[in-house]
Amino acid sequence: MRMDTTQSTLLRNTLTLILAGGQGERLYPLTKDRSKPSVPFAGSFRIIDFTLSNCINSGLRHIFVLSQYKSQSLNRHIREGWSLLHRDLGEFIETVPPQHRTHSRWYEGTADAIYQNVYLLEQMRPERVLILSGDHIYRMNYGDMIDFHVRKNADVTISSFEYPRQDSSPFGVMQVNEDDQILDFVEKPADPPPIPGKPDRSLVNMGVYVFNTPTLVRAVIEDAKSANTKYDIGKNIIPRLIEQEKTRIFSYQFTQQDPHPYWRDVGSIHSYYQASMALLDGHAPINLFSDAWPFRTDSFSLPPSVFHVSSFKAGQIQESMVANGCVIEGELVRCIISPEVRVGEGSHLEGCIVFNRTRIGKNCKIQNTIIDKHVSIPDNTVIGYDAESDRKQFLVSDGQITVIPKNMEVV
Amino acid sequence: MKTILVIDDEQYLRELYEAELTQEGFNVLLAKDGFEGISLCEQNDPDLVIVDIRMPGMDGLETISRLLNINRKRPILIHSAYPNYQDNFMSWNADDFVVKSGDLTELKQKVRTFLSV
Repeated sequence: MRMDTTQSTLLRNTLTLILAGGQGERLYPLTKDRSKPSVPFAGSFRIIDFTLSNCINSGLRHIFVLSQYKSQSLNRHIREGWSLLHRDLGEFIETVPPQHRTHSRWYEGTADAIYQNVYLLEQMRPERVLILSGDHIYRMNYGDMIDFHVRKNADVTISSFEYPRQDSSPFGVMQVNEDDQILDFVEKPADPPPIPGKPDRSLVNMGVYVFNTPTLVRAVIEDAKSANTKYDIGKNIIPRLIEQEKTRIFSYQFTQQDPHPYWRDVGSIHSYYQASMALLDGHAPINLFSDAWPFRTDSFSLPPSVFHVSSFKAGQIQESMVANGCVIEGELVRCIISPEVRVGEGSHLEGCIVFNRTRIGKNCKIQNTIIDKHVSIPDNTVIGYDAESDRKQFLVSDGQITVIPKNMEVV
Repeated sequence: MKTILVIDDEQYLRELYEAELTQEGFNVLLAKDGFEGISLCEQNDPDLVIVDIRMPGMDGLETISRLLNINRKRPILIHSAYPNYQDNFMSWNADDFVVKSGDLTELKQKVRTFLSV
């Protein structure tokens, strides 16, 4: 990747904090034994791999991952998959659980997670801090955003995603002037403010922030001491900074670097399923096969997958992604299969997402189902065709997606 | 009567604080280091704390973090002879920073402001 010296200096003086502490309740039971960022995604990856890949591809090399709930799976993934930087060069990707330095509670919100780690900022003394969420799927060059932040002489820059105005109410929405300076910021507005010159579009908060370090430290300390706070960067810190009027806060429009930008918070079973299935489209919104912007993950030595077609008609695998180490003897239509999955002879899976080491027997019929790791499904099982029947054993989401939790032995 | 806790390792300074702040009408508690200060804070719930930074054992910055763990809303003033600590992010946890001198006028003024007296 080519970088001019100026950008390289900017990146060197930027510390990245990835907020990876979310419980991900709306993704339950996929988050029963793991945090949201470590939920598998796209066959070989975990959700946090997208943010971490963006960091590495952007040239960022000083990265702390602030973990919290059920962090063992995430910690192991970072250690085994992302130990690619060298401390001798001053580069690192490290997980930081709550240290209970300032108080003996867990992180109570995104602002509190930063507040509890002010000592890290004091140790590192970065010029600016890039704050990211560990649970979004997108491809973004943070270097361009940091350039923008410095060019605008901003104290804070928030990355924004252009969205249809009538669909923007569930998000934090910002009102900007022609110079991209943020004039107002409202969480979940009933009547979202439009973009100047685009009356039917709004700018929603992507949860990607660049802060000058002193501004961030002052803001989180003030927030920690204030009454009626939810300790949240979007809900509390940004509105308070805008109110104080002395802080220069800008919106970096994601469309500046990608005319067809893609960004998803895969926060619910439905959105997770939709974002997964979108990868199987002929024109997938995020390219997993780009040499210029590779997405990486931990990789184990596994044999290639094998597809036995002898007892079936050819062409039984349609629009599917299959990771390494699988033995597929049945049919797959629009499926995403993680490593070391077995699908028995005569089985038909359609619209399914199957996590690692799950065993599906012979002659099963399964559709619109997410099957977590290490699940065992016996021969002749039918799932996803009768929600009432499925509900006796599994969770069926509002969007009629059946979810089978980790380690379950289906009967 | 408002209670002020002073944490400073220099005995003559503790005596000076006690004399001057008592004269101002405050109840004064004295601690010689961070550990003693935290213990007194837990027992007496003072209205304001004055902390030195360079102390043997637990320094003032660590002490402030622990004091905030007891109560984040209680005002804390740093009184230090080393102004360079004002650049240390951990010192921003305190509500104000007064550079130490033999004269407590500025400090007493800040105390009155924070306690609204």
